Amino acid sequence: MSDKQDHPHHEHDHDHDHDHAHPAPAALEGAEDAGTQALAGALKSSFAIVKVIMAGLLVVFLFSGFFIVGPQEKAVILRFGLPAGGGDGKLLGPGPHWAFPPPIDEVVRIPVGQVMSLNSTVGWYPTSAAAEAAGTEMPAGDSLRPAIDGYLITGDENIIHLRATLRYRIAEPGLRYVLDFANASNIVENAFNNALLFAAARYKVDDALTRDQAGFRETARNRFEQLVARHNFGINEIQIDNMQVIPPRQLKEAFGRVTEAEIRRAKELNDARSYENQTISRGRAEAESRKNLGEAERTRLVEFVAAEVERFTNNLPAWHANRELFTQQRQSEVLRIIYTNAQEKVVAPSRGSGGNRELRLQINREPPKPRVLEPAKGEDH
Amino acid sequence: MKQSPINLAVGALLLLIFVLLLFVFQVRTTETAVVTTFGRVSGLAGPGPHFRWPWPAQSVHKFDKRVHNFESKFEQVLTSDGNNLLISVYVGWNISDATAFLTRFNGDTRKAEASLEGLIRNAYSGVVGRRTFSNFISTDEKELKFVEIEQEMQTRIQTDCRALTNGLNIAFLGIKRLGLPESVTKLVFERMESEREVLVSQIKGDGERQASELKSRADYESAKLLAEADAQATKTLGEGEKIAARSFETFKQEPDLAIFLLKLKALEQFLQNRTTLILDDSTAPLDLLKSQNAGKK
Repeated sequence: MSDKQDHPHHEHDHDHDHDHAHPAPAALEGAEDAGTQALAGALKSSFAIVKVIMAGLLVVFLFSGFFIVGPQEKAVILRFGLPAGGGDGKLLGPGPHWAFPPPIDEVVRIPVGQVMSLNSTVGWYPTSAAAEAAGTEMPAGDSLRPAIDGYLITGDENIIHLRATLRYRIAEPGLRYVLDFANASNIVENAFNNALLFAAARYKVDDALTRDQAGFRETARNRFEQLVARHNFGINEIQIDNMQVIPPRQLKEAFGRVTEAEIRRAKELNDARSYENQTISRGRAEAESRKNLGEAERTRLVEFVAAEVERFTNNLPAWHANRELFTQQRQSEVLRIIYTNAQEKVVAPSRGSGGNRELRLQINREPPKPRVLEPAKGEDH
Repeated sequence: MKQSPINLAVGALLLLIFVLLLFVFQVRTTETAVVTTFGRVSGLAGPGPHFRWPWPAQSVHKFDKRVHNFESKFEQVLTSDGNNLLISVYVGWNISDATAFLTRFNGDTRKAEASLEGLIRNAYSGVVGRRTFSNFISTDEKELKFVEIEQEMQTRIQTDCRALTNGLNIAFLGIKRLGLPESVTKLVFERMESEREVLVSQIKGDGERQASELKSRADYESAKLLAEADAQATKTLGEGEKIAARSFETFKQEPDLAIFLLKLKALEQFLQNRTTLILDDSTAPLDLLKSQNAGKK
């Protein structure tokens, strides 16, 4: 454009030289010259402004190539559609970088540091976080509608609901994740769904629900890792969180009854165990005491006999000396002790005539009366 | 005034850009392109910049060659053992032959996916229809053919694609959902409920049995301990008696004395306390009383 503008100006200069050779119409020419000069001046200054604007645009154009890679990402430049820097492209770290503006370069950002997360709800009934929080979920019907209600079938052909969160990171360099898949996160989600389905298809309902949740999760995780390796997603740090496995809502009560029965059984077993402990320790104590009793009895017997032997030996000379006197003496001594110790003594004198006497005995001794408060009570009345 | 070299350079640059825009096209690394010359396919272009004749001589059709995710509808299939199974799969597909893709689907992804849907349906009847229900769902690892079924379906759809030369490649296929017809879920619920009832009574019986086992074992253990203790006590006592028996040798010297002494001892101990004695006055030493009375008379 500027070429075109310069041209008439040049022509004008030429005309001016020509006028000097033929000075006859000088006055007329002079007036015309002043006009064109003013026009030329005005044009010149406009060109200068246009040039400045163009230079400014060029600067803006060049600076538009600056971009900043965030702390949690990497970037690759595609130059004319090919990764720049050889091979899969040079991975650019966080910080400012420069690339040619489009269509020469294109900046592809890869969120390598970020933890991505997605939820599998393929096995869950339709609900929302708000409805769950408010407790206003849709009530469960008699059956599960295929298009609406999600669920999984377990290996023993039962139905469970399951949902879980998958967390992962894009492994460096991360180009596969960004460039090989049209919508990588959708495919990852489907692989995750598949892994959960895979685990459910081989687990018994009670194992998946309670008995072996860790094993269930491990099976799902292993399957998912296999799929990740096979599909070449280029992700790592896989974590399965918030896994919730519940029986169908329709059977909540039936499953609750089983749980109750299990609790009751545990209680019953605990009771039995404590009975077992008590009985055995009581038995042990009793056995110990019986053994001790035997031991004591033995000692007593041995001691007693030893004492008797001693007494016998001591008394033997006296016996030999005068049998009758010895007998009488001993007998009397013992009788004295007995009579002295006796609580009650009744002497029934024999009838001189030798007739029979009748003696009445009250054998059961009356227990001593305990002190009671009854008389005090009686006084109150 | 002379022509400025900057002006010339800028002009040349603009011209160059204009020419490049007309004669060059670039293919992104995620794409593949087919070049047609006057409507006929004349070449393929990989990622990077390429030369072309401007329209209307040549035109360029670019396709996304990344792996796409396609999910089939949740459909009912009859397994070989007569069970109705609802199944939905996800397929990762990409364009392996751009020319075939262009000619077969006119480059329309939606058309390609519609065709894929048909192929998947064929695979359902061809693969799923020849499998039993327990090949999908089973606690028996030998019965379960989950992975094999996915593999078979993938191979079959891939073979079909090759036969149709539609330019599609099946990167992977997996089962996304398995389900049962709505009416069947109701029956499953009924069965599950009765299973729960059985389980409840099993648990109850089990608990009672285990508890009574524990209790009776405890009783047995305790009785055993006592019996052992009794036996030991008897044995101990026996030992004592054996020692006591040795005294016989001594007592044998004068059995009458021994018996007399033992009797005395027994009597003494027997009548030690809380005794009520009823005595005849002829009993010694009360007979003394009697004779005194007689004396007084």
